[in-house]
Amino acid sequence: MTIEKNFKIVTFWRVISAAIFLAGGYAAYLRFLKGWQASTNLTDLQPWGLWVGFGTLCGVGLSAGGFAIAAAVYLLGMERYRPLLRPAIVLSFLGYSTVCTGMLYELGLPWRIWHPMIYWNGHSVLFDVSLCVMCYTSVLLLEFAPFAIEKLPYPKFRAWALHWHHKVLIALVLAGVLLSSMHQSYLGGLFLIAKGKVYPLWYSPYLTTLFYLSAIPAGIAMLTIVLYLCVRSLNVKLEFSLLEEMSRVMGMLLAVYAIFRMLDLSKGGGIHYLFVRRIETAYFWLEIALLVIIPLFLLSQSRVRNNPQALYWTCAVVVMGFMANRLNVSITAIDAMTGANYVPKWPEFALTMAVLTGAAIVFRLSVIYLDILPKKEEPKPLRWVNVTTPAEA
Amino acid sequence: MEKRKSILIDIKKCIGCQSCEQTCQQVHGFPVEHQAHLSETALTFVDQKGEKFVRRMCLHCEDPACASACLVGALKKSALGPVTYDANKCMGCRYCMIACPQGVPKYQWTKLAPLMKKCDMCYERQVAGGQPACVEACPVQASIFGDREVLLHEAWERIRSDSSYVPRIYGTEEFGGTDVFYISDVAFEDLGFVKPVNGSQPLPTLSAAALGESPTVVLVGGSMLAALYWISQRKKDVALAELRETEADEKRG
Repeated sequence: MTIEKNFKIVTFWRVISAAIFLAGGYAAYLRFLKGWQASTNLTDLQPWGLWVGFGTLCGVGLSAGGFAIAAAVYLLGMERYRPLLRPAIVLSFLGYSTVCTGMLYELGLPWRIWHPMIYWNGHSVLFDVSLCVMCYTSVLLLEFAPFAIEKLPYPKFRAWALHWHHKVLIALVLAGVLLSSMHQSYLGGLFLIAKGKVYPLWYSPYLTTLFYLSAIPAGIAMLTIVLYLCVRSLNVKLEFSLLEEMSRVMGMLLAVYAIFRMLDLSKGGGIHYLFVRRIETAYFWLEIALLVIIPLFLLSQSRVRNNPQALYWTCAVVVMGFMANRLNVSITAIDAMTGANYVPKWPEFALTMAVLTGAAIVFRLSVIYLDILPKKEEPKPLRWVNVTTPAEA
Repeated sequence: MEKRKSILIDIKKCIGCQSCEQTCQQVHGFPVEHQAHLSETALTFVDQKGEKFVRRMCLHCEDPACASACLVGALKKSALGPVTYDANKCMGCRYCMIACPQGVPKYQWTKLAPLMKKCDMCYERQVAGGQPACVEACPVQASIFGDREVLLHEAWERIRSDSSYVPRIYGTEEFGGTDVFYISDVAFEDLGFVKPVNGSQPLPTLSAAALGESPTVVLVGGSMLAALYWISQRKKDVALAELRETEADEKRG
């Protein structure tokens, strides 16, 4: 048992979290008891909005780190990344949990959330996405389970469960990689059928490939951000060279994405819209700058890659660029064609933020109480040195 | 197999009396009032375009984007022609609204348990041998109902016998063909008709192209990953065996 120094109940971040939960709670009340018009600015012209564009598309995309690291360590034998495996899996599991929680308020009839299990439509991209996300969230739960099981005070069950887990692990990882590859792509594929309602800068028959290629570097960026924050604020240690090495892979993946995107724009109709005097053009260049140009420049500098704080901010830029891309595809591009003029209402932000804050807190607790990242040896605070906790006695 | 039914809307004949939309609202129990666009309480409406009146409604595509998009298969193209909606399956994802090129599906945003609303060409009346209420209400036969082939023939007859018609039927090729089609004496482009972006190809072909790749991706990707796993395991085993040998050599040596 570690005993916290300077134990305080009211801290800056707890106040912030409480405020977010309060707002989120009120937003949930509005959504479920006052209805859609009290809680959202969604209309027939913009039926998806922030909850789908941000909550689902960004939530799934930024959780791609789990399958990427699992594939690297288990399938490609990159043993050096093993220390990142557990945090990556927890991050992805919680990311997908926020997406599934989000379904409870973004579906019109959330009590029918199980319908895709029995009513199948194989022609629907969304059906494939929902099936993949259901399966992959289960895979993530199973990958996450041993971190909790190994802490259980039942040695026999523990040994039995971990033994079996070890046996099926590779199959789980393999299934996880395939499921992830499919639904990360299909999230882009959702918009294929809406050709004509997606502004040409963002429509491409290769939306699937584009979504896949951008999700992996974005997932790595998100993982880097989270690891940096863990090392800074929690009592854990991590070799920085791993993050530096991973950022090079991320840079390469971003470069591949950039090249593919360029080729795609020049082949499709998008290239004629690059400099049109419209607000969409500005959003497009903002996205390209954040997702591709700025990160590629920063990552090419070794003093950025080797400086934890600089790398952290670089990854933050990548994540923002990624969000800009997903929001542009799902909101800007549709708005441009339907003229919806959608601006999210505050409860849309509040509910999303509340769910994300919940996930962040669970992540923090996992790192503190489970063996997710190796803990630093900490000298006992002086004041408590004579107290013997029951665990030590 | 039963013959596919259709509605032919003749824009030249329409006098803009709005009987169709009023009747539609009556049979659905909606408040009877004219609306300037389709909504969850106006499944059809008469759109005034200059001096012309265009009745808007679901076109009941031959290969509908909404039915292809609906993940639980609540939307279906029936053999009779209408694209029907099973409210008991719908989970409220609103993907149909994204998919429909005409923006036909409308959502009950005001309700706590909202459903999607769109015209089903009075499917139940059709099954009972009747015709859609809107067609029945039309005093000048600007909308007529019947077998698709017969109506297409009729449409071409009208175009041929009256040179004021635009020599084209909107709905034979658009979105891969629709079961509600229009003839007009004013160019369709000037009447606010959607120009199909996918030519005469139905929109579901766009997502089918992507989905069709998935078995290949699973098979090829899966075997490649398994092979990579085997290689990386083999590398580890070899390295371990080599290490043991050197250790054994050192002991002996």
